[in-house]
Amino acid sequence: MITRVSLSQLPQAARTLFLPVAIILLVSCSAATIDISGTYPAPLVQKLPLTVGVYYDDAFTNYSFIEINDNTGDDQYIINSGASQVELFNTMLPAVFEQVVHLDSIDSAANFNNLDAVFVPAIEEFQVGLPQKTRLNVYEIWVKYNMRLAKANGDYIADWVMTAYGKSPEETFQSVDAGVNDAANVALRDLAASFTLGFSNIPEVNEWLRSQNALAD
Amino acid sequence: MSTIATFKQLVRLVFALPAAAIISSCTTTEIDEFRQSATTIGENESIVILGRRQNNNYETEGSFVDCVANVVASGQNGINVVNEQEFLDAMFPFFEPRTAPMRTGHLEQLMAVDIAAQKIEEFGIEYIVWLDGITQRSDQSGSISCTIGPGGGGCFGFGTWSDDSNFEAEIWDMDTLSTVGSISTEANGQSYMPAVVVPIPLIARVEANACSGLGNQLKQFINGT
Repeated sequence: MITRVSLSQLPQAARTLFLPVAIILLVSCSAATIDISGTYPAPLVQKLPLTVGVYYDDAFTNYSFIEINDNTGDDQYIINSGASQVELFNTMLPAVFEQVVHLDSIDSAANFNNLDAVFVPAIEEFQVGLPQKTRLNVYEIWVKYNMRLAKANGDYIADWVMTAYGKSPEETFQSVDAGVNDAANVALRDLAASFTLGFSNIPEVNEWLRSQNALAD
Repeated sequence: MSTIATFKQLVRLVFALPAAAIISSCTTTEIDEFRQSATTIGENESIVILGRRQNNNYETEGSFVDCVANVVASGQNGINVVNEQEFLDAMFPFFEPRTAPMRTGHLEQLMAVDIAAQKIEEFGIEYIVWLDGITQRSDQSGSISCTIGPGGGGCFGFGTWSDDSNFEAEIWDMDTLSTVGSISTEANGQSYMPAVVVPIPLIARVEANACSGLGNQLKQFINGT
């Protein structure tokens, strides 16, 4: 004979135990969310005498990467880096350009008559290397960006790819969240370093900067 | 053999194993110094100790860099050491893994950038010390098994491993923009983990010894003593 027992019929102690166990089981099955956070220093470079509008689209501001568990095929980690990416660019761009204007849309650039250019960053690819998978004692993050620079009227100036890499050593009792966060912050600093030092050397950008007399002698 | 005698033997074993391990769990440290030029540092001058992070498979740990900086800054003839992160942030983006000068020739190019040279001068940096190295674990053997039951629990077994630290410090003079010398340290030691009811970790302080050895030698080197 099979007897069906509802939750309300169970003794109080069993009910008290059931709920936390159920929650633990559910939590242990779901993907862990890692929100990348950090502070980034303003680059120590000579500002270019330009007013640049910057537009971050939704894909960029809410960028999220999902790392899949190789064994189960389920989501293992959800890495949210959009907020940090925006914070990095908001720190970096005002150090590179004399004036930076934040745009709500690319079309809104037409409302500003003093803009020299509009800059739009985008993330094309994101990869994470976890010690448990790579068998290396480091957490790694690799990001591929596409940078677009256009005139205020939408005319093309330059479109180029940049990559950023960061790694962080695995430490005893360190959580995966902390390891991934540290590696991501190194990668973001790496991007800022190569952007600030390499921006003027992108051939099309260099040509445009010369046409604007924006390069120091 | 009575039960009391067996118990006494067990107690002896519990104390004898760790004692034996303590005696043998020591660390050997070797330090080599190579000086190319004379060095001296004034009271108002500083140094900065930076970890090399360009290697693919490892990077010099920030905790080791901090440890060496603390040794150099403390005690008799302590030297002013600028905090690594503070320096990296202030000099950003010139000392990041991708952009940091690898040789003194690159340092010359960097010092030709006015904004970077001014910042270095603001810090009063007289020497930059580059630390590069890693501590590796090897020769792990033994096993420890633990059980738990209604009447209690306990562990039994024995584990051992070896740690090897290899670090090199290269010292750059910011006046002459040249290398003035290098100090290398090699430390190794065997750690033990006997477990009779309770695991007793007997850790060889390999990296700590490498840190204090390298730090003290570096302090002497820069003070020119």
